Amino acid sequence: MIAVRRIAGKLGGLLLTLFLASVLVFFSRFLVPGDPVSFLLRGRKPSPEAVAQITAQYGLDLPPWQQYLNWVAGLLQGDLGRSLQYRQDVTVVLGERLPVTLGLVVMAGTTIAVVGLIAGAIAALHRGRLADRSILIGLTVLGAIPSFVGSIVLIAVFAVQLGWFPSFGSGEGFWDTVYHLVLPSIALAIVFVVLVGKVTRSSMIDQLDREHVEVAISRGIKRGTVIRRHVFRNAVGPILTVSGMLVAGLLVASSIVEAAFGLAGMGSLLVQSVDRLDFPVVQAIVLLVVTAFVLVNAVVDVLEPWIDPRSAAGAGAR
Amino acid sequence: MIRTRRNARRPLAVASVGVAGALVLSACSADTSSPDSTAAPEWEYTAQTAAPSGDLDSFSWVSYSEPSSLDYAYAFDYADNQVLSNVCESLLRLGPDYTLSPGLAEAFEHPTPETWVYTIRDGVTFHDGTPLTAADVVASMSRHLDPEVGSSWYSVYQNVAAIEQTGDRQVTVTMRQADSQFNLAMGSSAGVVESAATLAEKGADYGNSSGLVNCTGPFELTEWQSGESVTLTRYDGYWDESLRARAGEVDIHFMTDPNARVNALKSGEVDGGWMIPADAIAQLQDSGKGDMYFGLNTAVGSLVVSNLEGPLGDGRVRRALLMAMDRQGILDAAAKGYGEVTDALTTESVWVGASDEALKEAFDGLEEYPYDIEAAKKLIEEAGVAGEEIVIATAPISNDFAVISQGAAAAAQSIGLEATIETVSPSAYTALFSDPSAREGIDLFYTSWYLSSPDPLEMYGVLRTGEFSNYGNWSDPEFDALVNEAVAIDDPAARSEVTARAQRIANEQLPWLPLFQGPMTLFLGERVTGVAPSVAFMYYPWAATIGSR
Repeated sequence: MIAVRRIAGKLGGLLLTLFLASVLVFFSRFLVPGDPVSFLLRGRKPSPEAVAQITAQYGLDLPPWQQYLNWVAGLLQGDLGRSLQYRQDVTVVLGERLPVTLGLVVMAGTTIAVVGLIAGAIAALHRGRLADRSILIGLTVLGAIPSFVGSIVLIAVFAVQLGWFPSFGSGEGFWDTVYHLVLPSIALAIVFVVLVGKVTRSSMIDQLDREHVEVAISRGIKRGTVIRRHVFRNAVGPILTVSGMLVAGLLVASSIVEAAFGLAGMGSLLVQSVDRLDFPVVQAIVLLVVTAFVLVNAVVDVLEPWIDPRSAAGAGAR
Repeated sequence: MIRTRRNARRPLAVASVGVAGALVLSACSADTSSPDSTAAPEWEYTAQTAAPSGDLDSFSWVSYSEPSSLDYAYAFDYADNQVLSNVCESLLRLGPDYTLSPGLAEAFEHPTPETWVYTIRDGVTFHDGTPLTAADVVASMSRHLDPEVGSSWYSVYQNVAAIEQTGDRQVTVTMRQADSQFNLAMGSSAGVVESAATLAEKGADYGNSSGLVNCTGPFELTEWQSGESVTLTRYDGYWDESLRARAGEVDIHFMTDPNARVNALKSGEVDGGWMIPADAIAQLQDSGKGDMYFGLNTAVGSLVVSNLEGPLGDGRVRRALLMAMDRQGILDAAAKGYGEVTDALTTESVWVGASDEALKEAFDGLEEYPYDIEAAKKLIEEAGVAGEEIVIATAPISNDFAVISQGAAAAAQSIGLEATIETVSPSAYTALFSDPSAREGIDLFYTSWYLSSPDPLEMYGVLRTGEFSNYGNWSDPEFDALVNEAVAIDDPAARSEVTARAQRIANEQLPWLPLFQGPMTLFLGERVTGVAPSVAFMYYPWAATIGSR
């Protein structure tokens, strides 16, 4: 019962967050200086009637609140409006880009999780020793490489020099896509690996220092078992929380990598659309990222007590 | 609603801009003026690259941007037109040498100054196999007049009173006043013919990535992978044997990042591209992966004087500013020395059909503005504007924008003006070309302005009093009278003589400050050849002639 109530409460909060986000996302466009109509003209001489017609076609002649209501009504029916720059439904434009970004995020996310967890765990278990120090230094160096620099280096070495990987494009079909996304996903993963690695390390060290772990070890329980059952399981909470935030970060950071590798994903679309005052697309992407962020964190919230029994007893018990 | 200072889209605009071109073009040739122009690169114009040895299954190409639309009514920029030119055809055909020849109209007549009569070619089919009819021509052209469409080519049609089918294969366009420029624009996207049935069927999705297009060109647009590439496939039913596509398929990839483009060319992943960033030319030449070519261009890089209320309202100040600019040095820095300094706003390449006298009048003995700070300072003193401020707009679009805005600011300061550089976003920069409110408080901005028709009058028409693109509201009654007179003259040679006089006035008055002109650049990888490196690639089916080396 408590669980159901908890989930219901979370759902309410989630809807409220989304509503507030939609208001913010929509009306913030009125704070940006710029007139979508002159975007549509792109410096060309319009016929006088055409300006009025274009304004009306995109509903830009309506008062803002009415534009908002129309937008939300559309959203609820799966209609995200029409892109100004592509003269096409936003759902179609996004639909074509979403797979690329998702592929990139999934591959980068997997890389981050695997490399970050392993590096962090090894470091924690060898605390203070050579392995720990070299991993820490390695992570710090990696963390200092911005994704665009990483992209440039990866392309220069592995695409142009060695010719092992393509330097642009997202490929066709599953394996070809994976092949095309190897370098971009590494470029994207670099910065985030550091975060997960360091959180994993400190979270595990935190657990290793706990009394029950020391007690368990002193009782002669095998070290591997202790680490698996006590240390790692208890350390997962913070790691999961960080990972939840990573998802939004990845979605946003992908713009740089996508541009460098000529990938048609949502990140590069977002940047372009902001530049071109393509409000319907910007609003849709931002709302999508916010939704993804909120959902992932809700899922993390729901999962956490299940993984870590202590938090199910309520925060007070910690 | 919000008003603006920033706005709309990437540069380019209107024949505006080569912003794109800016990425690329121009700069000097070996020239006298600046002694320190250390590394003036060697280059020469190429009219046509070596003929191909055979056909190709496919080749790939790279473009700096995705077309916003492939609807010919909105195709108004390099990115749009370089794709569309292979797929859709116009009533007339603009050749690589910038001359016009018959296209989908096998002939045209001009029985009265106000009427143009086009005879539609027989035996042409659209990509869906249906035959081209006069009704398709009427439907296609009429869209430019439809306010709901909001055509980018409206200015070509502004004097049109009626577009009617007057015979089985005949279409007559009636103008409200004599307008020689209308017919000249029929070689550009303003003259494209699309199937009337397709237009009706696709509606709002016509020309976008799901609606695609159905035209008559040597290639059919078979796929548009949004954000990434378009695929063109040879159309076997193409009517003109001489331009039958040599490649079965062409993939044109969009890469906004200049490094990504250059890498793709260097690694051999794509076979070629137009408009190579100036600083990548040497790298590509050294890469051993293909050849650089330099071809005919119509763009002139110039500074638009967008405020005549300020100090630049005085002609002496405009002259002084131009004389204070080391244009050769700017050219070297902005475009790595590919191009030459010019004092005219048109290139000789657009003076097709001009008389010898006109060319002489237009280009020989133009007022020159040699780099001369002392003389410039004197003019500033005479004008009494020392210490006044000018604002120069720039945007982080490419290196040349920074170089040119800083060069102009330094020049202004060197002669006693105050200069402020205002950096705006690329889209805000584009808005300068369409939105008067975006130009408020801006005195100068850079453009690389290309012409889409083989007539310099296209340039000077823009500078008449009250024209949309006369950004500084410059006005000279004598100039207006000359341009209007020229517009009504049908004979190109006679017209050119009047235009030449207009060019002289612009050269003396400097409504815009001409800086330099540069060649169109092209890179061809080691697999392909057979194309004319001309800016006509925007309207001429350039990809059709490319075959294997």
